[in-house]
Amino acid sequence: MLIEKLLNHISNWGKFWFGLIFLGSILNAMLEKFTLLSGTPYIWVLAFGLGALIGLVAKIRGVWL
Amino acid sequence: MRELPEIAAEFSFEKEKAIAKSFSQRFQWEMMLIGLGQAAIWLSLWPLVLNGFLDLWAGFLIASLCACFAYLPSHEAQHGNYSRGNPKLRWLDSLVGHITLVTLKFPYHILRITHMKHHAYTNDQKKDPDYINAHNTSVLKVIKNVLDGSTLQFDKYLDVFANDKAFLNSFHQAIPIALFYKLAPLVLVIIFPFETLLLWWLPAKVGSVYTTVFFSYYPHLGTSTGRYMNTRFWSHWMPRYLNHSMQLHFIHHLHPNIGHFDEPKAIEALKPFLIARNVPGADQIPEKVSYNPLIKF
Repeated sequence: MLIEKLLNHISNWGKFWFGLIFLGSILNAMLEKFTLLSGTPYIWVLAFGLGALIGLVAKIRGVWL
Repeated sequence: MRELPEIAAEFSFEKEKAIAKSFSQRFQWEMMLIGLGQAAIWLSLWPLVLNGFLDLWAGFLIASLCACFAYLPSHEAQHGNYSRGNPKLRWLDSLVGHITLVTLKFPYHILRITHMKHHAYTNDQKKDPDYINAHNTSVLKVIKNVLDGSTLQFDKYLDVFANDKAFLNSFHQAIPIALFYKLAPLVLVIIFPFETLLLWWLPAKVGSVYTTVFFSYYPHLGTSTGRYMNTRFWSHWMPRYLNHSMQLHFIHHLHPNIGHFDEPKAIEALKPFLIARNVPGADQIPEKVSYNPLIKF
């Protein structure tokens, strides 16, 4: 069942997706607005990559903090 | 209910129940106003901030306050304290219960069913969904656990109550709303990153920490199992008006249908019963609870 698969996926990979999308978007907005790096091409790769990395670490550890 | 032999007849459970019932009749309009009002204020922050009428940091402070006020109206709904057993008014419980929790991003059905289990099995290490909060070793650890989401052990309680059809049904009912609360911030953050962080995600965390510390941790700290032993009367440096009067939470565990704002008067009336039953801290309850901030340094 699709919903069940989706729930399982969120349960297993929720932290990674949260890191990539949520933290990545926040980091991207912060880098663009507040740092000397604003305007640098492909800065979003750094932001979303860092968000994904934090999420992946949280997924492996099982907890955020 | 079986009476303990040492309890005098004047403090019988029947008499206690009759007094409690006299405080369990009033329509809880204030709590409905708080629940629907805070959700309306929270929702209005979005157009105000996005159109530049309100500073984002001011919005964050207001949203965090809203989040701190969000749980209790839902809690009254979880106990059916708006409908008061009238089937024609049950929609009020659902309406307030669902809407007020938007700020905290929690599905009403899940909170209702886990809260019912908390009442049924308070301080039971295996069956009380609030056990991990109530029996943590420090406030800081409670805060850490809430922030990293490790207090939400829903999978564990799905296993524990696997044979309870009502429990499972409520969980399944909550799935669409739970998915919405998971996915909506992920969509919003792409379009409005700072607004999603400071108007929803972070305030929901602030509200969850506040609720867990004052509703779960302090009232059950150091208590055991048993109807009169699982919650305590406590005091704090903080005036009770700032922590939703959770110093008085024990009366809610004894008589959940007493409306939140009627609890002080109910405690004044029931104090002799509470002392006779050795409710933890009952001997410290002041004669006058109404309008008393219950401050203790």
